[in-house]
Amino acid sequence: MVGGFRDIIDDIGGGLLFLGRMLSTLFRAPPRSHVVFDQIWRVTTNSLSTTALAGFFVGAIMTVQFTLQVKEFGALGYLGGLATSGTIREVGPLLIAFMLSGKVGAFTSAELGTMRVTEQIDAICCLGANPFQEIILPRFIAIILSSFFLLAVGLFMSIAGGLLLGIVFSGITAEEYLRHIPTIVTAPSIAGGLFKCLSFALVLASVCTYKGFTAAGGAKGVGRAVVSTAVATMVGLVIADFITTLVSDAVLAIALQG
Amino acid sequence: MIQFDRVVKRFGERVVLKGLSFTIREGEILFVLGTSGTGKSVLLKNIVGLLRPDEGDIWVDGQEVSRLAEESYFPVRKKCGMVFQHPALFDSFTVFENVAFGLRRHYGMGEGEIRARVRECLELVNLVGVERKMPAEISYGMQKRVSLARTVAIEPRILLFDEPTTGLDPVTTNAVNRLILDLSRQLKTTSIVVSHDMHCALAIADRIMVLDQGQIVAQGAPRDLMRSEHPLVRDFLAETLEGES
Repeated sequence: MVGGFRDIIDDIGGGLLFLGRMLSTLFRAPPRSHVVFDQIWRVTTNSLSTTALAGFFVGAIMTVQFTLQVKEFGALGYLGGLATSGTIREVGPLLIAFMLSGKVGAFTSAELGTMRVTEQIDAICCLGANPFQEIILPRFIAIILSSFFLLAVGLFMSIAGGLLLGIVFSGITAEEYLRHIPTIVTAPSIAGGLFKCLSFALVLASVCTYKGFTAAGGAKGVGRAVVSTAVATMVGLVIADFITTLVSDAVLAIALQG
Repeated sequence: MIQFDRVVKRFGERVVLKGLSFTIREGEILFVLGTSGTGKSVLLKNIVGLLRPDEGDIWVDGQEVSRLAEESYFPVRKKCGMVFQHPALFDSFTVFENVAFGLRRHYGMGEGEIRARVRECLELVNLVGVERKMPAEISYGMQKRVSLARTVAIEPRILLFDEPTTGLDPVTTNAVNRLILDLSRQLKTTSIVVSHDMHCALAIADRIMVLDQGQIVAQGAPRDLMRSEHPLVRDFLAETLEGES
């Protein structure tokens, strides 16, 4: 129990130092742009179809769930607005980020962990190069930008999924489904959703690069790094979700008062 | 010149280097021999800052390096090329890109110059026509030679070899040993070679240092070491003589 708590504190401290070193490298020796673009391309193309598919079904699930609720109150006309609002503000970013943590997070952690245990990272150092500039920052930046983009695509697809299920499952027309989306899904709620996407991307990129970079102990160590990446990302995402919800609601309240 | 002054390195309770002190002259070839787990690789990693000593000082070219910040260590590492026990090639790069890695980062070379230098370094280790292959497509022995070519390419003034000939065939082993000797004699490169191979050490070392449980138990020129009475040195020599007979 005490050991586990100490490990968590060690991890948080190590992670913060890691982020500090990454930021200092970013300003003093930024990564070469073509390496960053290569990584962006790789992360995006590897995960686009899965994210789109996951987003589609998240929207579909929300529509099915809301249909059962709004039918009871005879408010089927609000189905599109409610399902889309719920998806964009909360469920969509979180579920798609969970999915990305399995895909992008696990891959990056395993890749960096393997580079660590096979001494490739040490070799970079011994060639007088900075591993943060060469391999960590390009992946970190790429994961943030790509995940943000992928989450946005996922959310767009979730609207499409919700719309299709609204027509097929709930028996309403596209026009009926779309009518109340602008009334319920306001600009602040879209901004809140995108803010969550950005925060989740930051959590995902930080955890997987840190866990991969600090892997140790051969193949078993890489396995441990991947598992702890999955666990830490899930926990980090839930905590980030809680914090961003509080922040978004506070900002929204201030905006409404104004 | 490299100097160790009472260097201690611990891993938890285990003391791996126990107050090690020695000096290596410029252009010297030093072989560090010892059984497994005596701290030979730890010694090399302390020089390039992959590990830091818990006590004592390490001097590289007149600069005390053991307490340098990570970023300040990069220029020191550029001087000290290290060949790892395992090839440690970048597996997402081709052989060419592996060897060109250091050249692209440290020299303002054009693409033509880089190609010529890569070819020259691969020829040094008897590898031709593998530039476009991925590390996974070549044998372990070839990977080790690519690793050596990658290190030599940036012309480090100090070369650190962690068991450079382990897993290599006798022909390549001889070629690598000859290369260490040539680099040292022609370019005045200082070399530290961690090895189990007393035969190679006797053939090319200027000095041999024998480590046992983190301490130096014998050191000297090959002919002096032949006369050593230390049991571990006698064991190493007996193995070598057996192999030759």
